[in-house]
Amino acid sequence: MIPERVKALLLPVAALVALEIWARAIHLQSDSLAPPSAVAAALVGAFQDGSILIATRDTLVPAFAGLSIGGAIGLAFGIALGIFHVFDRLMEVTIEAIRPIPSIALLPIALIALGFGYRMEIVIVAFACIWPILVLSRAAVGGIEPRLMEVSRALRLSPADRVRKIIIPAALPRIFLAFRLAAGIALIVAVTVEIAINPIGLGAAIMTAQQALRPELMLAYLLWIGIVGYLLNTGLVVAQNHLFGRAALVRDPA
Amino acid sequence: MNRSVLYWRAASFAVAAGFVGLWQMIANQRLVSPVFLPGPDRAWASLVRGFTDGDLWGKLVGTLGHMAYGWFVASIAGIALGAMIGSSRTMRSYVAPSLEFLRPLPVSAIIPVAIAMLGLTQSMALFVIAFGAIWPMLLATIHGFAAVEPRLYEVSRSLHMSRLAVIFKIALPSASPDILSGMRLSLTVALILSVVCEILAGLDGLGHWVLLSARSFRSADLFAGVILLGVIGYLTALAMSVVEKRLLRWRSGGH
Amino acid sequence: MPAGARQAARCAGLERPQIAFSNVTLVLGGKTIVENISLDVKPGEFLCIIGASGCGKTTALRLAAGLYQPTGGAVSFDGKPMLMPRRDIAIVFQDYGKALLPWRTAAGNVSLALEASGVASSERAGRIDQLLKKVGLPNHAEKYPAEMSGGMQQRLQIARCLAQEPKALLMDEPFGALDAMTRQGLQDEVLSLVRASEATVIFVTHDLEEAIYLGDRVIGLSPHPGRIGIELKIDLPRPRDQLTTREDPEFLRLRRELFDFIKASEA
Repeated sequence: MIPERVKALLLPVAALVALEIWARAIHLQSDSLAPPSAVAAALVGAFQDGSILIATRDTLVPAFAGLSIGGAIGLAFGIALGIFHVFDRLMEVTIEAIRPIPSIALLPIALIALGFGYRMEIVIVAFACIWPILVLSRAAVGGIEPRLMEVSRALRLSPADRVRKIIIPAALPRIFLAFRLAAGIALIVAVTVEIAINPIGLGAAIMTAQQALRPELMLAYLLWIGIVGYLLNTGLVVAQNHLFGRAALVRDPA
Repeated sequence: MNRSVLYWRAASFAVAAGFVGLWQMIANQRLVSPVFLPGPDRAWASLVRGFTDGDLWGKLVGTLGHMAYGWFVASIAGIALGAMIGSSRTMRSYVAPSLEFLRPLPVSAIIPVAIAMLGLTQSMALFVIAFGAIWPMLLATIHGFAAVEPRLYEVSRSLHMSRLAVIFKIALPSASPDILSGMRLSLTVALILSVVCEILAGLDGLGHWVLLSARSFRSADLFAGVILLGVIGYLTALAMSVVEKRLLRWRSGGH
Repeated sequence: MPAGARQAARCAGLERPQIAFSNVTLVLGGKTIVENISLDVKPGEFLCIIGASGCGKTTALRLAAGLYQPTGGAVSFDGKPMLMPRRDIAIVFQDYGKALLPWRTAAGNVSLALEASGVASSERAGRIDQLLKKVGLPNHAEKYPAEMSGGMQQRLQIARCLAQEPKALLMDEPFGALDAMTRQGLQDEVLSLVRASEATVIFVTHDLEEAIYLGDRVIGLSPHPGRIGIELKIDLPRPRDQLTTREDPEFLRLRRELFDFIKASEA
């Protein structure tokens, strides 16, 4: 019986080894592919001269900033929509009209308004993050055990107290899940904006490497972006389990 | 549809109209420079103009074409591959972990690789869109096939159903809710990647339209394009909802 | 009944068993679930298997169904070894919700068995109508399982099983998830359906009274590992009646015997 861990690694390792052997054998000269060893070397090199760290910072800063701003807006609205049903029904059409606009479509607007740099990226990431958090926190509030709301009424809690002591703690696990999903979206949107137009960050770095006809560096950045995404997601999953553990019996889509 | 639902919908439309009115006021008062924020009247005029005199229709068709192609290829490949991988426990244990690792990877990062291989061309765009749209389909289909109720497999063994019959009569219908939600996500991805590729490669489409409008500071045209993209997003989501409701009728019944 | 005497009876040319277990043992994941089970089920017989939780009665049924293969010994049907499930052996599962196709209507579910048997589409509609009528669901052909009550869903599963025109019906605590009234109604329905089709039945249940009420014979398994601990012939008159049969002194005596057996086996 091959242990599960080994099975999981078998395919990628075998693929990398095969690719390496093939590339060496045909003395690969290509603008788009490079042997895994060259990619690894390029990655190390990018660390050594610090370029990859700067690029990573330039991607993660707007991603987190956008996540925070969009998350705050989405959370506030989501909770309000979840609590006040009248507000929810009145805002339905407006939300359904704005939500489907792909965040990337705002890119040109943000570009002419704010120019290149952090700010336009933050705005686009924020817009993208508002919606999943709004929808999920609204559902989280709506899904609070009605018994708890009855208890809050019986205890005559003030509205502020009710939100602070009952609604937020009860909805917290699902809200955390919403932020976890939004974090993934934030990273994707940030990188996409950089690839499309913004000359900073990991997206721009990978485009520059491609334009400089350096496939090993390009693939190194691709690998690194994947690693960053993976670490971010795993880190948040660990945090989720740590903070909520068995109490967060949340339906996990990931 | 009962009365109260209708009234609430109407009220909701009224609120939305109110926001549009607010937008018009802000534009009229020039609280934000009209270079950045055209009023809804100018955006609407641009829309009409674009369809009658200009090439907006062509651009719309261009984006829809890119989306449709990518989404179609992705659906077929995604469902076929997903079915194969999802229905075999051995394949799952070898392949699924790698897929899980690749899941959080921003799929737009494949664009430079595609450009390196295919240049700033239509083929590059179609490759990227198909590649990006496959992932949600693949992952959802694998999940759907892996989650088929094992009791149903026992029933199929008892009835001596053929392999093909098991796939089409049991596994596929069982996985259909997951597959349909994967399709929904795929549509969103296809739209986004279409716009990005059109911006990058200058292909005929709404992405290109909005970029050109932005570069020439024609904000009304820009907003018209953005609105159209929103409309595409809305209509495709609506279409998926309708399809889902029809195919998944059996889910709603019961106590 | 000692194995020797049974052998003798067989050699004497008496009825050949339809389902036979010869020293069947099953080891799963290092644990011996059932050990040395030998039993013969005659064609048309209604055999009930009872026992405390964990005694392996469901396992024995799945062995008879061909869903499990024995580690030791052999299971045979009509003299031939059971290597895999057979189309003419129908299994009624306890979790009816999971054994029905939620995306097909009642008619669609019954149709599944007919499609698998290669029945022509022109014939199917008529047969489906007939079967649904037989199980008391004549007007529910277009309903989805989610729209039906537990009892109705179980009847639907039975209808699908009958569509297989089975020689044997294997039922795994089919009424365990239902309320008492529904259960009693279904018990009588099963008895009349089985009498009409002359199928052999192995019926697993934890309900002692149900076992005596339904069966021609009751076998009790003692747990850890599952072994045959008791075998009772039920000589109560047929057709059975929910009130009179259950008050028959013989019924009460049998119930007492089985109850004592269960108590002893749990100790």
